[in-house]
Amino acid sequence: MAYHHDLIQHAVFLSELNLPHEPKQVDLRRAVSAAYYGLFHLLTTEAAQNWKHQNQRDRFARMFDHGRMKTCSSRVSSRPLSVDTAEVIIATALKLVADSFVKLQQARHSADYDNSKVWSRTQVREMIAQAEDAMAAWSNIRETEIAQDYLLDLMGTR
Amino acid sequence: MILPRGVAQPTELIKRLNALAPFPSGVVNLRFTVENDWSGDPAIFFWITLSDEGARPAVLSQTSRRIMDFVTQRLDPMGQWGLIPYFNFRSQSEQANLKEEVFG
Repeated sequence: MAYHHDLIQHAVFLSELNLPHEPKQVDLRRAVSAAYYGLFHLLTTEAAQNWKHQNQRDRFARMFDHGRMKTCSSRVSSRPLSVDTAEVIIATALKLVADSFVKLQQARHSADYDNSKVWSRTQVREMIAQAEDAMAAWSNIRETEIAQDYLLDLMGTR
Repeated sequence: MILPRGVAQPTELIKRLNALAPFPSGVVNLRFTVENDWSGDPAIFFWITLSDEGARPAVLSQTSRRIMDFVTQRLDPMGQWGLIPYFNFRSQSEQANLKEEVFG
């Protein structure tokens, strides 16, 4: 199974630990982080697939920067949808991916660094669902031109 | 530096948010804070308490999507107010136990 799927499965596993009792914060925090990295690795791996030399793809995937990916995703998430009905379905799916990326990244940052925040199982389940929905949306549009443009823009290029 | 409208006009933002009610089914309480996100971008954080029914794992994704779409379409936080929206959900029984102030 692909690494990004493993990360989502791991996030689900962590979020359901200790049921029916209260979850441990450490499990919830690591689950949020795993959900974000599931989507992060899906996108960077997809971008790296476009690199011609297979033995350099892992190095290529490491060139992505979280901040630049957020800037790009935020821009995609907030831009108006195309009026072209043929493109609106694809654009809507891409907006879902980009918007989920921004939200999951913020959640991951909070989960990893802000110990004042208390997480609940519902919050974490919702984050995992966002990651899963974004991955499903991506699988439907991954070969389209705007999805491929997005991958390139994630590097911070214009 | 130009302040985003959501920061420069907080009273207007509150007025607009209050006018959003009634919220979609499943919302028990909705609060918000305006602050910077991890990278320093101005943002609006929504802290939403859901009914236990709406927070059930089987329906949670639909409940949260419906609420996020409702707020995003009616308020347009990024386009109209210059704020990146972030949503946090928890169930009523979780909040009764955790009593976190930001959720109200």
